[in-house]
This record gives sequence, C-alpha cells and structure tokens, in this order.
Amino acid sequence: MAESPWWRIGWRNLGRNRRRTVVTASALAVGYFSVVLMVGLLKGLVAEMIENGTGIITGQIQVHAEGYLPDKEVYATIGGRDGADVAALVAAVEVDPEVHAATPRVYGGGLVSTGSATAAALFLGVDPQREPRVSKLMRGLERGRHPAAGANEILIGSEMARTLGAEPGDEVVVVAPAIDGSLGNDLFIVSGVFHTGLVDLDRAFAILPIDVLQFLIAMPPSRIHEVAAAVRSPWRAVEAMPRIQTGLAEAGFDASAESWVTLRPEMVDYANLSEAMEWVMLLIIFVMAIFGVANTMLMATFERRYEFALLLALGTAPWAIVKSVLYEALALGVIALAAGVAITAPVMVWWYEAPPNVSWLFGEYTLSGALMRPVLRVEYPWVMAVGAAFALFITAVLAALYPAVRAARVPPADTLSGR
Amino acid sequence: MTKRWQVLPRLSWRNVRRQWRRSLLTGTAMMLGVAALVFSRTIGDGAHEDWIDSGVRQGSGHVAVQDPGFRASRKLEHRISAAQWEAVAGALEAPDVAPYVERMTSRLEVLGLANAPTAAVPVNIVGVDPAAEAEFSQLGVEQRLVEGRYLEPGDRLHAYVGRRLADRLDVALGSRLVLTAQDESGDIAGQLVRVVGIFRTGVPEVDEGLVHVPLATVQRWLGAEGDITTVAILLRSAWDVPRVLRRVRARVEEATDEVAVLGWREAMPELDAAIKLDDFWGYVFNIVLFVIVALAIVNTVLMSVLYRTREFGVLRALGLTKRETATVVFTEGMMLTAIAGLIGLALGYGLVWLLFRNGLDYSGALEGDLTFSGVVLDTVVIPVYRGVQVVMSLGSIVAVGIVASLYPAYRATRIDVAEAMKFEA
Repeated sequence: MAESPWWRIGWRNLGRNRRRTVVTASALAVGYFSVVLMVGLLKGLVAEMIENGTGIITGQIQVHAEGYLPDKEVYATIGGRDGADVAALVAAVEVDPEVHAATPRVYGGGLVSTGSATAAALFLGVDPQREPRVSKLMRGLERGRHPAAGANEILIGSEMARTLGAEPGDEVVVVAPAIDGSLGNDLFIVSGVFHTGLVDLDRAFAILPIDVLQFLIAMPPSRIHEVAAAVRSPWRAVEAMPRIQTGLAEAGFDASAESWVTLRPEMVDYANLSEAMEWVMLLIIFVMAIFGVANTMLMATFERRYEFALLLALGTAPWAIVKSVLYEALALGVIALAAGVAITAPVMVWWYEAPPNVSWLFGEYTLSGALMRPVLRVEYPWVMAVGAAFALFITAVLAALYPAVRAARVPPADTLSGR
Repeated sequence: MTKRWQVLPRLSWRNVRRQWRRSLLTGTAMMLGVAALVFSRTIGDGAHEDWIDSGVRQGSGHVAVQDPGFRASRKLEHRISAAQWEAVAGALEAPDVAPYVERMTSRLEVLGLANAPTAAVPVNIVGVDPAAEAEFSQLGVEQRLVEGRYLEPGDRLHAYVGRRLADRLDVALGSRLVLTAQDESGDIAGQLVRVVGIFRTGVPEVDEGLVHVPLATVQRWLGAEGDITTVAILLRSAWDVPRVLRRVRARVEEATDEVAVLGWREAMPELDAAIKLDDFWGYVFNIVLFVIVALAIVNTVLMSVLYRTREFGVLRALGLTKRETATVVFTEGMMLTAIAGLIGLALGYGLVWLLFRNGLDYSGALEGDLTFSGVVLDTVVIPVYRGVQVVMSLGSIVAVGIVASLYPAYRATRIDVAEAMKFEA
C-alpha cells in the first residue's frame, strides 16, 4: 500500500483557507514568542541578581579557616596563629580551570576620622592588583585612584566620603583595634572614593592595601582571613567548589571553601522561585491559546462535513479521519513554530546584545540583597525554548481532539442527503 | 416601524447566539483572560500592600518628618528641635489629616559603632520611644523576638539588637556593649548599654546593623536633649499617602522651611523601584494574555464574516450602507467580548474570594526569606480589592473588543454585492 494519504489531506487543508491558517498559527506563534521572551527576561533578572550579588564583593567562591563563618572573628585566620603561605594558597585556588582569578583578603573594624567628623568602618585589606579581577568593588571608582600597595592610602565609599566630608588627597586618622589587644592608629591619605549603589557598602567599607592593614592591626603578613575567587560562570562555582576543597587539602592547607550558593542561600531561593514561575507562565499562555485553536479547527472540520461523510460512506475507518484532523493540527504546529522561531530569534539576539535601559520607569533596587540596575536584560532560555515548542504542539493537538472526534462522528447518510 | 439602529444590534446578537458553540469557545478565552487579570491584580496589590507595610514599619513610615539635610547626611547636626516638631504636629492634628493617621513615633538616629571585647561593628543606633515603637516597627513581636524582650518604658541603659550583630560581637542576653558615636559637638562619645533582647527580621542588613536604645538615653548621651531626627508616621492605608502628604506639606511650609515632609517613595526609592518593577511584570504578562485572546476573537469574528458573504450581500442589496454592515460585525465582536469579559470579571473575583480570601500561601516554594529592597516578603498574600482593578478590567475588555472587531468589520465592507448574490449555496 502506498503511504498513508492522511498526512497530505491534513496538510493540504491548511492551504485551503490561508487567512484562517495565518490567524490561528499566529496565535500559537505569539504564545511561543511571549513565553520565550518572558522567560528570557526572568532569567536575565536572576542572572543580574547573581552576578551583582556575588560580583560586587562576595566573589563566587570564598576560602576561610574552618569556623571563620558566621562570626568572622578577627583571630580566625587561615592556618591558625602561624598563618599560611599566602601566595601558595592563592595559587592553589587559582589553579582550578573554572577559577578566573583569586585574591587574599583581611578584614578589620574601626573608625575613620577627619578630625571634624568620624565614621565607623569595616576595613578590607586587599591586593590592589588582584582584587579588581575578582570583585567590582574597586572598579566602581568615582573619584581619585586605587590605594598603592605598601602606602598609607585608603579608598572609601561615597556615603562615607559624604559623612566625613573627605575628598581624594585629604588626610584621615584610622583607628582599629589590633589583635594583640592594642589600638592601632595611623595617618592615611584618601586615595579615592568608590560607589556601588548599595548604601551599606558605600557607607561602611574602606579599602586598604592588605600589607598596610595587617601592619595596622598587628597581624603578620602570613595571616589572612579569606581568599575570594571569581569563576567564569556563577553556576559552575558549585561544581568547582569540591575540586578546590580537595586541591587545598592536597596542598596541605587547613581551610574550607564555600560557594555563593551556601554564602547567599536567599539568591538560590529566588532563582528556584523564578523557575517555578516560568512553568506557570508557560501553562497559562498555552491554555489560553488552546481556545483560539480549538475554535478554528472546529470551524474547519464543520466546513468539511460533506467530505468526511463521503469518506465514511466509502468505508474509511473513523480513526483515519481523527488522524487526518490531528495531522492537520500538527502541520499547523509546524508552521506556527517556524513563524514563532523566526520572530523570536532575532528579537532575543537583539535584546541580548542591546538590553534597554528603563531608568525612566524605575530606579535601582535590590533583590535578595543584590543591587539591580534598571536595565531589562535577557538570557537565552534554551530549555524553555524547547519546552515551549513541545507545549505548542501539545496545545495544537489538544485543541484538535474534540473537532477530530466530531468529524469522525458525522452521520454519513444524513449529511450526504442534505438533512 | 422598527428603526435601523434597532435592527443592527439585533442582527449581531442573533449571530452570537446562532453560533453558540463558537461563541462559547471564544468567550472562554476572554473569560479566562479577564479572570487572570483580576487574579494577578488582587494578589499583586495585596502583595504590594504587604511590602509597603513592612517596608514603612521598619523604615521611616508612610510619611516621615525630618530636617531636609538628614536623609543625605544622616548626621546629628541635621536634627529637629522640639519647637520645630510642634509646628508639624499641629498640621498632623488638623481635622482633614488626623483621621488618616494610624500612629506615629519619634526617633533619634545616628550612625555609630557597637563595640564588644572581640569586635566592633558599624551600626545604625536608633533612640526610640519604647511604647510607641513597639507598636510601630513591631520588632518585638513573637516571630521576630529570638530571646529576651523588647524595650519597655522606664528602660534606660538597655539595648535591643539583631541576631547577626549579637553573633558577630559574641554577646548574649545581659552582656554589655559600648556604643560609640559622634555627639552634638562633634566629639566621639561612648555609652555603655546592656542587651535585653535579640531579634531576627531575616534582612541581613537589619539583623547585623540595627540597635534600638531608649530615646532619652541617646538624647542625654549625645547631648541633644529633647531633639529627634525623624518622626515616622504610619497611615491607615498606603493609598492615602499622596492626599496626606499634600495637606501636611501645605501647612508645614507655611510654618517653617526647616522641616521636610517625605513620602515613603522619596524616603525609600529602592522599595518604590521594586514595586514598580513588579507592576511592570504584571502588565507585560497581562498584555501578552490579551494579545492571544484578541487573536482568538479576531479569528472567530473573521470566520463568521467570511462564511456570511451571501448574508452581507443580501443586507447590502436591501439597502444597508457599508458603514452599517461594518457596525453589525463590530457590534457582534463587542457583544461577545463584553459578555465573556463581564462573566470573567465575576469569575475572577469569585474565585479569588472563594480560594484565597484568607491568603495565598506560597511559603512552600521558599526555604529561607525572600528580601526585596530590604524588605522580607510575607509568604502569605491577602488579596486586595480595589475599584481601579475593575476599571482596568473593563478597559481591557473594551480595548480587546475594539482591536479584535475592527479588522473583521473592515473585511465585511469589502464584499462585492453582485458577486455575493450570484453565488448559489
């Protein structure tokens, strides 16, 4: 027997009423386009949150002494009282293929004073060469320049600069309790002012060269609190983490590595919630599309009731007619998908390359503690692009089921006799 | 004799009824669309009201009264004296404002350092009136209280601190802390306080950076007797803010220009942005839904036009103008949309009321706390019903109806009368 004619009948029928086919297919295509675009936007939002939340200061991976978190005690340095070979430690983290850069850090607390005004500060001792490759904190330089290694220079946040009335070049007194119980204090020059947009950071953080801070709080150069690392893609940090942990143990360091997933669990929560929302959107949109398609298919089959009656009278099995109508729906799905992809792909690429700035609509805000720019960016939602394609076909077929069954039930004799 | 304008709607209505199955299918799409709109608006408005409420309670109220320079500087020099406050208090007691005010609280806020033997942490030190503040920011309620108690009237050297701060300073109930800050003359002054309670809000910045101390203690410590930096005012509803703000401002500006009256949108721009973003998402989603619904309706009405070539031919031959023929089709589309839309409206409100009147609980989707611009989101959302939602739904019904009926109506005018009549069906 030759190949089944039902495919061809279904396909041809789409061509008989082109306008109807176009309107129906466009409902499905618009559904596909909206799902992919909205999910892309949602993914963009999550990516923005994770990138900014981990990129401004946290870093995607942090290495500390066991027990440093959550108290962040100043004594809990990596390698205990004796410290560690800092260069080897950083190298042991940086050797991982996923790690883009790593940097040592020392933390301290104290006061910064201009004489007329005083501000409480969290001191962050950094390696001025390495730090900018890991976090954006130092990249957000508003005025002045970075502190130079070994110099008594300090980079302060914009809010702190305003509180102190300090400008680059001004002299400030820095006071910090040292780990030996004494009170370290020294004169510093404000080298620059940074601005992140996160008020807490801009108000509380002051950045010093790591060696200078260690000297100020009476800590030998071998003692550091943290190694922060940036990975190429945030989600890869989870895979890289155990590898780094093993690498550290092999190199003989007693330290624990943690990724942003455990450091910032609220962001993972939000990412999961937003993924659940993606599926809800998919469901709602295609349920709506079902009605549009069902209607058209119903009309299309009603119009052909003589044809179906004739086929049935000639001995066609009712199942074959159901098949033919379902094939028609599938063919419609193919057209709709092609159209959907044709409009979606260029828009997504354009949007990805040039995300619109919507600061006229709303300003900066924070989500799970991460600063968000008022920019609507998209990420390519590959999984959803495929998922929505399946949903489109399922919608088309579901919508055609009832019309197909009705078509197969056309009473041949009555219909043909015109009754 | 029946008038023409009476005939046209009747023709439209008959066609909606005659094709009842088709009308039902298309109508269902519209019904669901409107019901989804109602659902998203009632839940969305409910969620926003929660955000604003917890945001303003932890922040500076729906309306805040401060020195104009305080928000930017957060310095003690930008404080308001008792005399200045009197002028504003008068405006708040006016008969056209007072009914909207739920409660208010005075605070003296300074940035300082919390010192314990092992660490020093920068904090926001807030001098509060214990009785008023307990009701206002509700930091002492059961869900937030970890240990001990909130401040009480009569407390002097007591402090109420966040859990992360307590952990970082390694202090427990009864432990002593030294708070240091710049006093009124610019010198650093220290104040010994004892921890009476520990709270947890779920917002890391707050749990690590906030200390509540009795107002009188802070005033004496910093040499600012009788002065405050902020009066936070809670209104009965966030929707009253613009009205109250306008009335209070008008009166305060007459009295003094050394005091600023801020709405929460100005005082908390981040929260404002978060809510606008959320609204934006709601609108995008609803527009997409209605585009799909509109396509379904275009299709139905268009099909019904293309099938009735002969009918329109006859109508035209009987003397209906092109415009009247179009009106029949247009009315048909509008009727279908309007009826389905109104049912959808009732359905939407009915379902929301039936299923979620006690709140939509999505806490199962989250393990920890979700914070948005420094506000912990309540995982139970109580829907809010507002007139604007109905107006918006009616607006979209009309808009979809017009958009979906225009093209088919136009098509109906393009029928060639002679051709249509020639064809024998």
